[in-house]
Amino acid sequence: MSKSAPAAPVKQKTAVPAKQNSLKRRPRSAGAKALRRIEPYLWIAPSMILMAVFILIPIISVFQMSMSDVSKAGKIKGFNGIANFTKVINGSAFSLVLKNTLVWTVAVVVLSTILGFVLALILNNQFKGRKIARAIVVFPWATTLVIQASAWNFIINTDYGTLNTLLIKLGILQQGMNWTPTPEAYFAWEIACGIFVTIPFVTFCVLSGLQSIDTSFYEAATVDGANYWQKLFKITLPLVKSSLTVSTVLNIIYVFNSFPIIWTMTKGDPANHTDTLVTYLYKLAFYNGRQGEAAAVSVIGFLILLLCASVYMIYTLRKGDDM
Amino acid sequence: MKKFLALLLALVMVMALAACGNKNDTPPAADNPPANADTPKDDTPSTSDPAPSGEKIDINVIAAQYGQNTTQWWADFQSEFNKTYENINLTVEVVSWNDIYTVVNTRVSNQQAPDILNIDVFADYQADDLLLPAKDFVSEETYAKMYPAFLDQSVVDGTVWAIPDLASARAMYYNVDILEAAGVEVPTTWDELKAACEKIKEYDPEIYPWGIDMTTDEGQAAFAYYIWNNGGDFTDADGNWTLNSAENVEAIEYAISLVKDGLTNSDPATDTRYDLQDMFGTGKVAMMIGPNSIPTYIQEGGSTINYAFAAIPTNGGNPSVSAGVMDRFMCFDNNHSPEKLEAIKTFFDFFYDDTRYSDWVLMEGFLPATSAGGEIVASSDPSMAPWVDIVGSCKFYPTAKSEWADVKQGVINVEQQALLGGNVQELLDGLQSEIAG
Repeated sequence: MSKSAPAAPVKQKTAVPAKQNSLKRRPRSAGAKALRRIEPYLWIAPSMILMAVFILIPIISVFQMSMSDVSKAGKIKGFNGIANFTKVINGSAFSLVLKNTLVWTVAVVVLSTILGFVLALILNNQFKGRKIARAIVVFPWATTLVIQASAWNFIINTDYGTLNTLLIKLGILQQGMNWTPTPEAYFAWEIACGIFVTIPFVTFCVLSGLQSIDTSFYEAATVDGANYWQKLFKITLPLVKSSLTVSTVLNIIYVFNSFPIIWTMTKGDPANHTDTLVTYLYKLAFYNGRQGEAAAVSVIGFLILLLCASVYMIYTLRKGDDM
Repeated sequence: MKKFLALLLALVMVMALAACGNKNDTPPAADNPPANADTPKDDTPSTSDPAPSGEKIDINVIAAQYGQNTTQWWADFQSEFNKTYENINLTVEVVSWNDIYTVVNTRVSNQQAPDILNIDVFADYQADDLLLPAKDFVSEETYAKMYPAFLDQSVVDGTVWAIPDLASARAMYYNVDILEAAGVEVPTTWDELKAACEKIKEYDPEIYPWGIDMTTDEGQAAFAYYIWNNGGDFTDADGNWTLNSAENVEAIEYAISLVKDGLTNSDPATDTRYDLQDMFGTGKVAMMIGPNSIPTYIQEGGSTINYAFAAIPTNGGNPSVSAGVMDRFMCFDNNHSPEKLEAIKTFFDFFYDDTRYSDWVLMEGFLPATSAGGEIVASSDPSMAPWVDIVGSCKFYPTAKSEWADVKQGVINVEQQALLGGNVQELLDGLQSEIAG
């Protein structure tokens, strides 16, 4: 987009009726000019007000709460500086929860990006039933996360899980197996569920990028004798890079803040071993009644995500400069 | 045309924003229109102003949703109450247990506390001086109906701050057929319990002899069952925390040993009470400790197992102690006028009317908190009679102490750490020093 584009929409210069054109040329009154100047702001005002009400005010409120002494009944009793942050960071569970959050985010985002990319490459080929295959890929995305997580819990359950039933019927297992013998195993299943529900988003982001690539690039590369991998790394990847970047940054934010999967499957148990920052702060707020500390955890999460979003913004702005 | 549409859109958005700022903060009970739907809505907060003569007195109540019948019960109650007392406008908002703490805390932090709240805990609100003493909002006649042991659970600094609305009690349920087939008697002591579990395991390794729930949902109940039946407690007679007492350490070590020996469900940190009830209903779990509502749960689940219940096994010759869970009504101190306090007393008189109250208790299969209600419930449903006796003598969590929320989560964390191999003594020592300082 041109940097000098006016804030107000530019009127079409062609096909303007003569009468309208003559009206346009009339000298405007001062009031009309003033209205014209503030008009763009009037139009964006509702959006700005909505953003302020639903985004800015809650963020300010959380920051305020994170630096306040909040009673268990929810009453703010005064400013207490960084006491909530100190308590949280010195808490025995915090380092474990932070580590879990990073493992959860990196594992889900990286693996779902790789798998989603591969799936997009497959779905970009011409084959019979491609439309049905694409529709099926949307299903995990279209289903609510709580239902997805409940279904995964049902699949891996030791006592009545469908995975055990299937393997026993196939003769692979003699008796039901405990698929979640350790907290790490349970966490791995949660990550698997997270990957499963994230893949469709990546797939469709990449697929939209793939469909915009001109086939003449591949034809030219073929003439030059490029093999499949050379075409993949020299043509496909560079051209879908922007789609991948968008999906990765958005996924980092979504996955980092994801609550339903972990809460439905384990509630962060046992002993915070499957907690992430979001489930941990929920417990602090609504199980322990420590809303000030919960707000502090929320602010820490916000700052981590702000860092990720900043990287994305810098990347996007630089890209804009190049154009 | 485009401009007109954009203007229209902007108008709608501004109106939506204006709607967000509507001061009427007391929505009617979910799914039900207010009883006096034709009465003009009063936009002024109903919390503090004395009602001038001729105007209706507004009372708003937030009530916990116990089950599928609760919302309808309160809607009928509201309708009947408003018809009976034309000078009072009662509004009951039924909120699910998942949301009620968030809803109430948000209302409190916005200075929009309800007049009456039906929930389990009260100490946090009392600690912030938000509540009225029970005798200020309950008539003497209604107050006298309560079991004294129940009222004692809501005492802070010698004052009763909340009144019980219902209770539930726990006992040991066992599958009669499995115990008979394994050749074991109903266990009454911990030694007998372990021996019975081992025999059941020998009889059928696929069956979990004993069900334990140490989840975030209800791990504190497991803690209570074992410590109380080993002579331990959360506090001493003076109310000081005794979380790391020798009896408590021994009790939790015993519970963990049952898990480590493979005598329980495989994953006590994530198997909730409802999972255990389901497994008990299918004959997968042979014995478990559970509430008086289990028969209803099993019946509704279509199970046909042959089961019975008995006292919770104990250790060291201690008497068997049942764990009681009690919920309460409390009244927020919203600078009520004398007329409004009288209206609130009228509300409670109406609610605790013997017939109406027993209907409330039976509605979701709970136990009564009043002696008259107990008699009516016991006579109307013979299967409830033993439970009415149990609930009169069971122990309760120390919810009157403001540290309870931290203790509750702390003991659950201790259990789960112990399941992962932690030392119970060290874990309870750590919790004790964190709570008691």
